[in-house]
Amino acid sequence: MPLASSTTSIRADPRIGHRSLFAGLALLLLGLMYLSLALGYRLYSPEEIWTALTAFDGSETDVVIRDLRLPRALMAPMVGAALGIAGVIVQTLSRNRIASPDTLGLNAGAAFAVVMASGLFGVVSLPGLSLAAAVGALLTSFVVFGLAAAAGGISPLRIVLVGVTFAGLFDSFVNVVLTVNETMLDQLLFWLAGSFADRKLGLALNGLPFVVVGAALAASLARPLDILQTDDSTARGLGVPLGVVRGLAFLAVALLSGAAVAMAGPVMFVGLVVPHAARALVGLGHRLQIAAAAMVGALYTTLADIVARFVIYPREAPVGAVTAIVGGLLLLVLLRRRAA
Amino acid sequence: MSPLAPRLSPALARISRRAWIAVAVIAAVAAALALCGIGFGSTWIDPRRIVEILFGEGTRGERVVVLQLRAPRVAIAILAGGAMAVSGYLLQKVTRNELASPGVLGVIGGAGLGVVIFLALLSDESNALVTSIVWQPVAAMVGASVAIAAVFLLSGQQASSAVRLLLFGIAVGAVAKAATLILMIVGPIYRTTQASRWLAGAVNEINWGEVQVVAIGLAIAMVGVFAVARRLPPTDLDEVSARGIGLNLPVFRILVFALASALTALAVAFAGGVGFIGLMAPHLARLIVGRPVIPGIVASFLLGAIMLVGADLIVRVLFAPTEVPAGTVTAVIGTPYFLYLVLRRGSTNG
Repeated sequence: MPLASSTTSIRADPRIGHRSLFAGLALLLLGLMYLSLALGYRLYSPEEIWTALTAFDGSETDVVIRDLRLPRALMAPMVGAALGIAGVIVQTLSRNRIASPDTLGLNAGAAFAVVMASGLFGVVSLPGLSLAAAVGALLTSFVVFGLAAAAGGISPLRIVLVGVTFAGLFDSFVNVVLTVNETMLDQLLFWLAGSFADRKLGLALNGLPFVVVGAALAASLARPLDILQTDDSTARGLGVPLGVVRGLAFLAVALLSGAAVAMAGPVMFVGLVVPHAARALVGLGHRLQIAAAAMVGALYTTLADIVARFVIYPREAPVGAVTAIVGGLLLLVLLRRRAA
Repeated sequence: MSPLAPRLSPALARISRRAWIAVAVIAAVAAALALCGIGFGSTWIDPRRIVEILFGEGTRGERVVVLQLRAPRVAIAILAGGAMAVSGYLLQKVTRNELASPGVLGVIGGAGLGVVIFLALLSDESNALVTSIVWQPVAAMVGASVAIAAVFLLSGQQASSAVRLLLFGIAVGAVAKAATLILMIVGPIYRTTQASRWLAGAVNEINWGEVQVVAIGLAIAMVGVFAVARRLPPTDLDEVSARGIGLNLPVFRILVFALASALTALAVAFAGGVGFIGLMAPHLARLIVGRPVIPGIVASFLLGAIMLVGADLIVRVLFAPTEVPAGTVTAVIGTPYFLYLVLRRGSTNG
């Protein structure tokens, strides 16, 4: 099959073995989630973890495992999966391999919306903040893509330049709100660095519906997204309602990156890195690409979260800084290879 | 001298005279704004009174407010804003890229990283520096030079595309920013809060010692800038015009980049990463004084100073008594302008 061999899949035969590939990824993820429980400032044995989760008795070990380690072991994969899927959709929509929720400014817009919602409108409920983040991401995507369209269509590189500029503007708005309102600074500073540390389990559970709905919406758009990869006139010729598909796709991206930002703060460049790995594993078809992005994203953030505990041991680095370094380096590689 | 020179020179002289008159006007505006910057605060001090105080009159209270609290702040804003603007002028000239500025080329990020490494490595248990503060701008300079070298080595041939060059700069800047964040956590807490404030670009809490360091560094750098500027053609600096005036272009480019990073580093070391001044001030300077290089550099310096003093004044008026970083104002004004430049069709290749 010439078509199959022309995909970017690195495996020998793309038709067989997707099942074993995903089973392998899932096993790897479970392993990493276990390590996320076990590793850190203190190391815990399997028995300690097992007792803490099954027979909680309020000992210090149990509290650390259940209240500190467990939430992040669950939240990191969710955030990674959400940002990975969002990255795939954004890269397809803009036909741009260096697009991502970060480089288009969506995450910064979501973060700004969260700060505004809690600072100016006194929103404290977790669903409220997640919703604010999604709205912020959606509005930013409208502004960035709208500006690009108003300029008569601009190159992928320029749209990233526009997105990065907006991200910078939102950052400085956040700075203003936080400097004016110092009590908020204390509450939000750890969140703004992009981190899974010190998150309550409720926060993860609260983000779950957003991630599930966003992922389901993305998966349902797999077929039209496949066609959208070509170009607008082909897609229109094949009967794809471009406006509807784009609108729904933006909605999915907003839900996913909004939920991720509301949970962990801006975890940089995950949505940039993960789609490249996903395409290398399963090729260009969106059904598999989205599934692979979810798995790879989950693996990536969980691993990054573990790494972040050790890079400046005994202190902990924000996971967002770790992923920003990896993502920034990948961006340099992509630019050098003229992949964009 | 070519035979054409005598015939051209009256016209050139006229252009140059007009440019210098414009520079004088800008200088007057800058001076007036600086006096307003000193005058404004919890109590308003009349500009005439400020001049008297600067020349040794006034009560003890007035002298403390003006000389110890407000003047250093305005002085650092002038020096940092001016340094950033000249750095932007040089970078735009040598890359032939109207979108270039210290911010988007990763120079600010690199300088910030240099300072944080310096603070993290050379602070003792009680958060005091174990070495002189004079080395802080040197650390910033090393960081800035490494960043700009990385941008140009990595971009290689692609540096000729304005937009691509910027994306390399943004990527390098992002890595530097993330490394800065990690090191701020390693570093002493007291320094961390300080660092997070100046990374956003703020000019408060400055003392005369720091102003002195910047002023001396800037004086040295500006001597280099003017020495280089005399060789800069008023037109674009490309291979042909460089050969025409007998310039070794690669060496010359490296020299200009070194000066530009040194200037940015001086600004960042004490005032933090104030964005967009290095983009806007040179554009405005060229708009006002035209192509002549030396007046262009002086006008850039003055306009950069006006922008940072003005931005600082605006945050003090709008947000007093809290200290919002002045970089916020330059970002709010600079972003639409930068977007206009990027979105304008046919402006640059890429």
